[in-house]
Amino acid sequence: MRATVLGLAVVTAGLLSISNIAASSATLRVRLNADIRSVNPGVNRNDATDGVVLHVVEGLVGYSENGTVEPLLAERVVVSDDGLTYTFHLRKGVTFHDGLELTSADVVWNWKRYLDPRTGWLCAAEYNGLNGIKVEDVTIGDRYTVSYRLDRPSSTFLAGIARNQCGQTAIIARSSVTADGVFKTPIGTGPFRFAEWKRGEFVRLTRFDGYKSRAGRPDGYVGSKRPLVDEVRYLVIPDNATAKAALVRGDIDILPNLAYSDVHELRQNPRLAVTTSPTMMLNTILLQTRDRLLANVRLRHAFAAAFDTTRLVAAVTEGLGERNNSVVPTRSAYYSAVQARGNTYNPDRARQLLKEAGYARQPITITANKNERETYDTAVIAQAMLQAVGINARLEVIEWVTQLDRYNKGRYQVMSFSYSARYDPALAYSSVIGSKDHLPNRIWDDATAQGLLNRILIVPGGPQRQGLFDDLHRLFLEQVPLIMLYNGVEAAAVRNRVKGYAASVMSKPRLWEVSVAN
Amino acid sequence: MVRFIAARVGSAIPTLLIVAVAVFVLIRLIPGDPAVLMLGDLADPASLADLRARLGLDQTFATQFIIWFANVMTGDFGRSIASDQPVLPLIVDRFWVSARIVLAAVTLASVVAVPAGMIAAWRQNSRLDLAAVTLSTLLLSIPTFWLGLLLLLLFGLKLGWLPVVGYVSFTDDPRRAFLYLLMPVATLFLHEIGVIMRMARASTLDVLRLDYITHARAKGLSEATVLWRHAFKNAFGPTWTLIGLVLGNLLGGIAVVETVFTIPGLGRLLVDSIFARDYPVIQGCLLFVAFSYVIVNLVVDLLYPVFDPRVMAE
Repeated sequence: MRATVLGLAVVTAGLLSISNIAASSATLRVRLNADIRSVNPGVNRNDATDGVVLHVVEGLVGYSENGTVEPLLAERVVVSDDGLTYTFHLRKGVTFHDGLELTSADVVWNWKRYLDPRTGWLCAAEYNGLNGIKVEDVTIGDRYTVSYRLDRPSSTFLAGIARNQCGQTAIIARSSVTADGVFKTPIGTGPFRFAEWKRGEFVRLTRFDGYKSRAGRPDGYVGSKRPLVDEVRYLVIPDNATAKAALVRGDIDILPNLAYSDVHELRQNPRLAVTTSPTMMLNTILLQTRDRLLANVRLRHAFAAAFDTTRLVAAVTEGLGERNNSVVPTRSAYYSAVQARGNTYNPDRARQLLKEAGYARQPITITANKNERETYDTAVIAQAMLQAVGINARLEVIEWVTQLDRYNKGRYQVMSFSYSARYDPALAYSSVIGSKDHLPNRIWDDATAQGLLNRILIVPGGPQRQGLFDDLHRLFLEQVPLIMLYNGVEAAAVRNRVKGYAASVMSKPRLWEVSVAN
Repeated sequence: MVRFIAARVGSAIPTLLIVAVAVFVLIRLIPGDPAVLMLGDLADPASLADLRARLGLDQTFATQFIIWFANVMTGDFGRSIASDQPVLPLIVDRFWVSARIVLAAVTLASVVAVPAGMIAAWRQNSRLDLAAVTLSTLLLSIPTFWLGLLLLLLFGLKLGWLPVVGYVSFTDDPRRAFLYLLMPVATLFLHEIGVIMRMARASTLDVLRLDYITHARAKGLSEATVLWRHAFKNAFGPTWTLIGLVLGNLLGGIAVVETVFTIPGLGRLLVDSIFARDYPVIQGCLLFVAFSYVIVNLVVDLLYPVFDPRVMAE
């Protein structure tokens, strides 16, 4: 009886969902600040590419808004007691855009394709044993069940395959590639079909009427994802002023990644709605612990005491951001009371620490770039705050790609630097902690920290993992390998006719469950 | 004439060779690695080495150059690292988008600025001359991005007459394409008027001071005849050369105007490629620009005798 009632509920919800989809018809025009690189998930990508492609394709799992990994194409995921086998039970009735039903055979085919070097999947090294775990085997249980067997337990296996950078390890239809295995076009299971890409001009997606949405509210990349408009048109508009003019005039409907300085102005416009949301980006001041001066932990503590983080963040984000001295983002499920502990602004203590460190006003260079406005503003304010306590801080402004090159080679003293969002804090710490001999772009080269991270990478979610994150944060504040300042802020402005869109923690435009009033 | 053309084309070959070598070396001297940019957060040594090998970046500079240059000689400019597209069709497509705007703007600017400059010279030190000089200096001084934004705010936002963003090809819809190109063409047109008008005025002033003009006036010819039949041909020579240089420069990229008006032209392609360290596209763009510069100036030189027959005689 219960099964019948549940079945009826599912059918009703499905019909309701389909009727909702059929009811709305419109085009949603969204700004892209740069063209996409390709439509091949996880192969040739940048941030803009991920934002578009993840409307077309979906992975087995995806991130929710608080950074936890939830089933997406999977109905549920069962992890074996030894942590070596992940069994994905697929949702039944999910179809690709070509009309074929998703089965476990498709999952296996996709995995083989991803690990084939000819595919060029950017995450292959993370799963073939070259740079981490090795997926030893992927086997079909039945039509809707597939199991992955790892060579060792990993708490970040699901978090890893759910990453945007990996194209969510999307399951695409076999008709996406030619007979020779060359990628043609993304035929996925997402709420929108890929329709057209005119390079340098626009990308057009159309509604997938056969989309089978999950229940619940929209939640990051999971939850309900119904396509409510006929068409989505991403317009490449590189210039901020032009994009703003286009929104005000009504040539576009959604302006994501709004400059903080424009938020107040656009809020005064009655035809627009402006929303903001914290993201999981990490905005930091990196300290090169191998530098002759900064190797001294007292000097690094002096830096931490010299920064009035609250004022700095308020100035850089026009009052929209909130301070966070932890690598764990404020919106993460792992952001605890311990993570909320941070550095204390104390200029007198900073001066005392400088004296104890034997600092004699040697010049210290802060490297920044102007391509990322907030990074530059942070560096300017940081310079002033350091100078205020007697640190001879100098500013070096270089082009962003040059800065990235210096970052990767570890060639800097102090650097104002932003990390893109890592929804699982273990992945964020993995980008920071490591041996500088092996990986010069690592910031925190410490055996204890590495030991804690290694345990986090094995221990599944729960209080034990939380405790390890808290221990790591305590050590982080003690050693000050870098100074975390704040997580990013996403601001978006939309025309009033757009319903259901708001800036989100995912930072990229999310266009499912968004409709346009006629 | 054939020998003249052959000599000019032949003299361009060393220039193109130098450009090819310089571009190849200089772009690689700039810090930054396209493989790192593609991998982003996933840039560990193993993945980097793998991707660099796939992109052919693991080979020596000399090997990379020889392979690239040999391919260019056969018309193969390689494939874009960023988009995996063949470079030459990519450049040609974008070039035509920019070329339409540039040719329209420079032609219109020449039609307006040359007579205006000559009339200003003819009426030197009058109010008309003062107005022409002031206007040309003003137009010359306004940066194109600002001028573009002003037009965009006025005609796009305030008056709502013209679209603010987007691009439509003439082959798709000529009427809409015209509307979309009006503001970018107007921006360049206004800027180049200043440049050309100043040159036309200055060269006309020089010619009007020559003895043969005094002689023509002494014969009792009308001022219009003196100006257009006798002064124009001599005065237009330097202006024509300048128009050629302006055209060559602008065909090399109008990145700022293209960025403001979201035009998918060659300038934006080049700038985007530099930020992405897309070596094949940068090399292809710059070589193409150098080639188009040579061609434009060749055409200018070939047409020069039409205005000044002495050049042919020489």
